[in-house]
Amino acid sequence: MTAHADAPTAQTEPAMAHEEGHAALADIVRGALEWVTAHRDRFALPPDVLETHTDLNWSMKPLGELARLSTSITRAAHTVADHHDDPHWRQLAEIARELLDFTWSEIGEGRVLRELARLEPHATYPLEIYAAFASAGLRDEHFEEFTGTLVRTRAWASTEQQPNRRLGVLAAEHQARLPSHDDPTEALRRTWLGALPEPWTFDVTAGYALTHTVFHLTDWGARPAGVPADLDTYLHHWLPCWLDSCLEDQQWDLGCELLAVGASLPEPYPPDRHLPVWREVAGRRAPDGSLHEVGAEPPDAFAHRYHSTLAAAFAAALTAASTTRSRPSESAHRDAHPGHPGHPAHAGAHR
Amino acid sequence: MSTLKPETGDLQKSLETEVEAALNPGEAEGFYRDTRECLGLLLVAGAALLSPPTPRPKK
Amino acid sequence: MRNLSGAVCDLASEVVSVLRDGGHRAVVSPNGQGPDAELGVAAVRVLGADVLLPSTLHRHPPAPSDLQLVREAVRTFPPGGDASVSTEWSHWAMRDALRRHDPAAAAPRPVAAEPVGAEPVGGEPVGGEPVGGEPDTAWLSRLTWQELTHQLAVLGALAVPPAVTGPSPVVAAAAPRTLDLARGFVRAVRRRDWLQAAGAGRWLAVLDSDATPVPATLGLETGLEFVLRMGGADPRVALHAHAAQLLRAGAAG
Repeated sequence: MTAHADAPTAQTEPAMAHEEGHAALADIVRGALEWVTAHRDRFALPPDVLETHTDLNWSMKPLGELARLSTSITRAAHTVADHHDDPHWRQLAEIARELLDFTWSEIGEGRVLRELARLEPHATYPLEIYAAFASAGLRDEHFEEFTGTLVRTRAWASTEQQPNRRLGVLAAEHQARLPSHDDPTEALRRTWLGALPEPWTFDVTAGYALTHTVFHLTDWGARPAGVPADLDTYLHHWLPCWLDSCLEDQQWDLGCELLAVGASLPEPYPPDRHLPVWREVAGRRAPDGSLHEVGAEPPDAFAHRYHSTLAAAFAAALTAASTTRSRPSESAHRDAHPGHPGHPAHAGAHR
Repeated sequence: MSTLKPETGDLQKSLETEVEAALNPGEAEGFYRDTRECLGLLLVAGAALLSPPTPRPKK
Repeated sequence: MRNLSGAVCDLASEVVSVLRDGGHRAVVSPNGQGPDAELGVAAVRVLGADVLLPSTLHRHPPAPSDLQLVREAVRTFPPGGDASVSTEWSHWAMRDALRRHDPAAAAPRPVAAEPVGAEPVGGEPVGGEPVGGEPDTAWLSRLTWQELTHQLAVLGALAVPPAVTGPSPVVAAAAPRTLDLARGFVRAVRRRDWLQAAGAGRWLAVLDSDATPVPATLGLETGLEFVLRMGGADPRVALHAHAAQLLRAGAAG
């Protein structure tokens, strides 16, 4: 049975429940960050990271994800700490910042990315990973200068990639202060989410495409205004269904990403909808604070929990931060304006 | 159409139970199956590694 | 062999067939009542007012034999003292359909006297009096959107436009929950619960209006087609989906 997450008349839960929710979110962030910190060495780059036999998906990718999400968690935790003058969240921000510093050190303060870019000049991933650091203000001018040459080629603009990833490359160009290879509004409308597709066609693949589209539009939750109004309405309409099916299908990792999407909207996904989902997700964590990706049986392997554990911390921090920028919003209020898809012309440029 | 005869009373009773159950069914089990991706023809499998579709590790 | 669900499916199949033909013939063949007459009546009770749906949507008087069967089902399977609210509402819908199609014989419940020769079908509700003793609808507003969708899908036979049938308390109670039902439709399709999806889709076809719009992004029409292709082998799914499509096409607008 799925969690019937929200009351039909959509009354907000009492303020006390919100405060409990806030503490529960802090607990999720803390547990996850402590687990990641304890397993920090697993994110370290291997000595042969530049060799062709090294699997990037098990070296650069986890480190890049750690950099990306610890940047966002640091920022969100600071927002909560400042808003509530809360030393607990300040401490969470510091733990996340230490993880970010670790990744910056692992990447040789940009040197490894620079070398990879020289070895594989037509790849987009060094820039995409670099953007995570640049977003946190950690920059390498040599990398930006070198990549700037490639970004201006026709070939770069026509790299064959999935539309949501193209949007990520565009966002990375922006972070690296490089010229854009395409119009972000048009790029958005080529993605699954940008087309406002029939919500019943959602599946796991579409789900990940959707979450990443929102992450790229908002610089991973930092800029909710990057989500155009029609996407905002669309997501408020259909997130409840997708979260419901993620819980029933035990897609914890995707569920966390969808919660992060909800917290990244111009009008955040309301507490009376997200708190019950968070309760369910929190209950699925291992005693050590980590969360496995899918299914009932939590596998022990680092490989099956590092991403979902990071996603949980990221989504919980964004959720807590989202409650600081709006009154506890009521889903009934949201739902009072069903609305229709807007005009593509209103799609927000992401810069 | 005649009303039911007394000897069919038990039968009728069980039919009533069946009708009541049919009018109040529980919710069916959900069934989920992910969409798979079949690589484009003539693409070598290794090409998949160049653009991992999701941030999820292989099982 | 006694098999109620089989009999319900057979009957639903007949309804679909008459619905698609334009509603001009009897749903149950008058001489089709064999040794399993009781089972046939029970099946009519389970399908409820939908046995008369082709007449309702196509605005033809129902075959006397169909009316007789519905009357029999109403009489044989009255809601017991501990009957669920779904049972009560589906019984109410059958009585309401009888009242509309056969005002003179709307027993067993006393209703306002009908003018002699009143037109049994038409755009105006006959008599102007609701069927007496309406069950409660307040419970609907207390359900989560998931529960609401399940319950309303079970009560799919009540998803008929008030413009055709006259005021319906369940339709009125469901209307403010249109967006929630649209979410339920999405959830049902995701779970591949085609019967619930078809029932929810039929409700959405009834409720979609300027005041309570179904979000255009839902894609209800292609959604109904999809449900029909995925789950239409089950005649109960086909019944709801075809009814919804007829409503969308304005057959009963």
